[in-house]
Amino acid sequence: MPPERRRSVADVALQGRDAVTGEMPARAQVIDRLRIGDAAFRNITRLAAIAVLVILGGVIVSLVIGAAPALQAFGFNFLIEERWNPVTERFGALAPIYGTVVTSLIAMLIAVPVGLLIAIFLTELCPMWLRRPIGIAIELLAGIPSIIYGIWGLFVFAPFLQQHVQPGLIALFESVPGISSLFAGPPYGIGVLTAGLILAIMVLPFITSISRDVFDAVPPMLKESAYGLGCTTWEVVRSVVLPYARVGVIGGVMLGLGRALGETMAVTFVIGNAHKISASMLAPGTTISATIANEFTEAVGDLYTSSLIALGLILFLITFIVLACARYMLLRLERRTA
Amino acid sequence: MARSTSLYSARQRRSRVAMVLSLVATLFGLGWLVLILGVLVYKGFGGLSLKVFTEMTPPPGSDGGLLNPIIGSLILTALAVVIGTPIGILAGTYLAEYGRHERLASAVRFINDILLSAPSIVIGLFVYEIMVAPMGHFSGWAGAVALGVIVIPVVLRTTEDMLRLVPDTLREAAASIGLPRSLMITRIAYRAASAGMLTGVLLAVARISGETAPLLFTALNNQFGSMNMNGPIASLPVVIFQFALSPYAEWQKLAWTGALVITMTVLALSIVARLIAAPRKSS
Amino acid sequence: MNVAAMSVPSVVHAAADPAELEDKVIIRDLNFYYGDAQALKNISLSLLSNKTTAFIGPSGCGKSTLLRVLNRMYDLYPNQRAEGEVLLDGEDILSAAQDVNLLRARIGMVFQKPTPFPMSIYENIGFGIRLYEKLPKSELDDRVEHALRRAALWEEVKDKLSQSGLSLSGGQQQRLCIARTVAVKPEVILLDEPASALDPISTAKIEELIDELKRDYTIVIVTHNMQQAARVSDFTAFMYLGELIEFGATNRVFTNPAKRQTQDYITGRFG
Repeated sequence: MPPERRRSVADVALQGRDAVTGEMPARAQVIDRLRIGDAAFRNITRLAAIAVLVILGGVIVSLVIGAAPALQAFGFNFLIEERWNPVTERFGALAPIYGTVVTSLIAMLIAVPVGLLIAIFLTELCPMWLRRPIGIAIELLAGIPSIIYGIWGLFVFAPFLQQHVQPGLIALFESVPGISSLFAGPPYGIGVLTAGLILAIMVLPFITSISRDVFDAVPPMLKESAYGLGCTTWEVVRSVVLPYARVGVIGGVMLGLGRALGETMAVTFVIGNAHKISASMLAPGTTISATIANEFTEAVGDLYTSSLIALGLILFLITFIVLACARYMLLRLERRTA
Repeated sequence: MARSTSLYSARQRRSRVAMVLSLVATLFGLGWLVLILGVLVYKGFGGLSLKVFTEMTPPPGSDGGLLNPIIGSLILTALAVVIGTPIGILAGTYLAEYGRHERLASAVRFINDILLSAPSIVIGLFVYEIMVAPMGHFSGWAGAVALGVIVIPVVLRTTEDMLRLVPDTLREAAASIGLPRSLMITRIAYRAASAGMLTGVLLAVARISGETAPLLFTALNNQFGSMNMNGPIASLPVVIFQFALSPYAEWQKLAWTGALVITMTVLALSIVARLIAAPRKSS
Repeated sequence: MNVAAMSVPSVVHAAADPAELEDKVIIRDLNFYYGDAQALKNISLSLLSNKTTAFIGPSGCGKSTLLRVLNRMYDLYPNQRAEGEVLLDGEDILSAAQDVNLLRARIGMVFQKPTPFPMSIYENIGFGIRLYEKLPKSELDDRVEHALRRAALWEEVKDKLSQSGLSLSGGQQQRLCIARTVAVKPEVILLDEPASALDPISTAKIEELIDELKRDYTIVIVTHNMQQAARVSDFTAFMYLGELIEFGATNRVFTNPAKRQTQDYITGRFG
């Protein structure tokens, strides 16, 4: 009588065995068969894990190889040279690096306080039934693809800034010594500030979600003892929650920073793509990722391409360091609460 | 008494101000979401019609649809999932099941977190160097590989997290009837963690659906609707990029519509992923 | 099988008649370590065939640790190790030559918390059987029914075999786990505080079950409930801080303990 049920792994292993004597002696043989598959499975998973290491290694190696010609030609000056001239083949990374750093800085200056405040709202003030929907809504901000931010930035946000905000900023700081140069110049709409603002909106959900997780992990008894002393909500947050969650928040901030540094499409649309360092935030500039995105497919000549790859290498190294620090912080947090 | 009262009211005031600020911050954040989605719908919805899904991209100045980039994106996404998911699941299995105390596992976990948040344009450069440059031309395969590299860390992370949630007593119960490790993992642990692992795949798909940068110099773009994977292939994000920056009104309109389509897809996937994972949390 | 194979320290076998009983498992000079910390010190005792032996003692005395050595469950965790000998029918199961999966098919285990597999009730049982034997469906059905009957669960689940194992109540889930263990046809069944997570009625059912299972299997049960040990077991081992203090027939150990410590524990002086 043929077996009428689904075949399992053990069945396949038992193929050809005599079903009648499927008692104790055959059991050892089944286990023997399964043992080979067992070792094979373990090795396959190990290989897959090693593949991850190989990928990272591959990224670094390929970037270094690709960047070698440019690095050899320019040496250390590559990092401090502002000129970027495809015609004379003189390339310098200073403008993109500056743009990357400044836009990320602007983004963090806005996203960190706002993100923390939202996390505080969600954990302390928000009614229970609203917490999940609002939390999800904020996280949707993170899910919106960056190219959407790009076109929205270019066609909606930048014109709005140009017409309504930037003239105001220019007028406001005109007479303030020092800061006036930060907000000088014609209101293009696009520029370093705009890019920074859009990055802020993109990074905000990361800060919020990680901060919220660490805030939630504060033991309720700790907060209750502070309330028991008569502390106001703000005092509990400031003296109990934030110190307890400090390491996690910093980890989250660094994660957000890593994101901001590497963001490409949103920035490419609104930064203006000028290889120039200007004092004013209202002026156009460029970032590493925007430069690569805009120029790579049109790059003619090995030195040009190599310089772009060198930019990519620099970006990767910067984000690697930031992300490694973030990881380290979050690891310390895990170890402490474990 | 008077002094302590005024101190107390000052503290109360400060707390109230802080709480109001936090509310304002939340409305601020939500406001941007509404604004962006609102504009997207406003500008893209008008162009939404069956034509978008049935006609190819038009030459400048004329009407058309987004058929080839949509198909291109679907193919690239599917391939990326096929490439990246097995590696991600197997590696995540190693980290959760075999590698709890091994140094290799800690190294992989660390590297994976780096790759998870690494700039996707760098991944594009990497695949350019290893595939496009040696092959001498752009190709859909290169694009799929670039997206696949982005899929791996996402799937690895969720797989590891979900498998770790499976209680050890279940593993011991499987061992107690003589089940070898591999079968215990594939038959019992995977089953127990299946919802979470599926979530990981959905999140990865949501993530790569909107990725543009890694495709810019791997799959590039293709005006002519060619579906040959050995050459450049159109994808929705890259076409949006091209059309949005062009001076042609019809192209720009299509760009908005395409943007709406991508965003809705990504948001739908995110919400579905959350719903699948949710039964654990809801009571 | 090998009653006269070795000499067991005089602290054991106080009033049992060795001639009629066979040693199923002989533990000799067993030491166990979690990393550098020693959890079991020079344990030696015998478990007799078709009898129920209980391990009792206060928290942390090592009774669960000892139980888990018997099916080498500690193998799953790298920093745990055992030294000494444990003979199952004369063969040392601690040696590297012993196939662990084969061992676990012969020595089954039921845990403190019910752990049904994420499958249907039928599959929970059938899974283990199919692992080792290739059976036509009708025979598999019979085996599943047989296992469920032995676990006193058949009447309650016979109409819902395709429902998930997790849909049962706690007591039913635990009996399902017992059925699953029995289905694989072990020789020894280890029970690690099987009723501690259950209500009194389910507990009573489990205890009845243990009494019946004894007919075909050798049972070892760890329990922190002394009254349960007295009700259910034939032999009792009292442990304290990783050492075996006293071992003998349950009646004798509970009514006339040879050691002061045993008496103190049984009368509730500490624990």
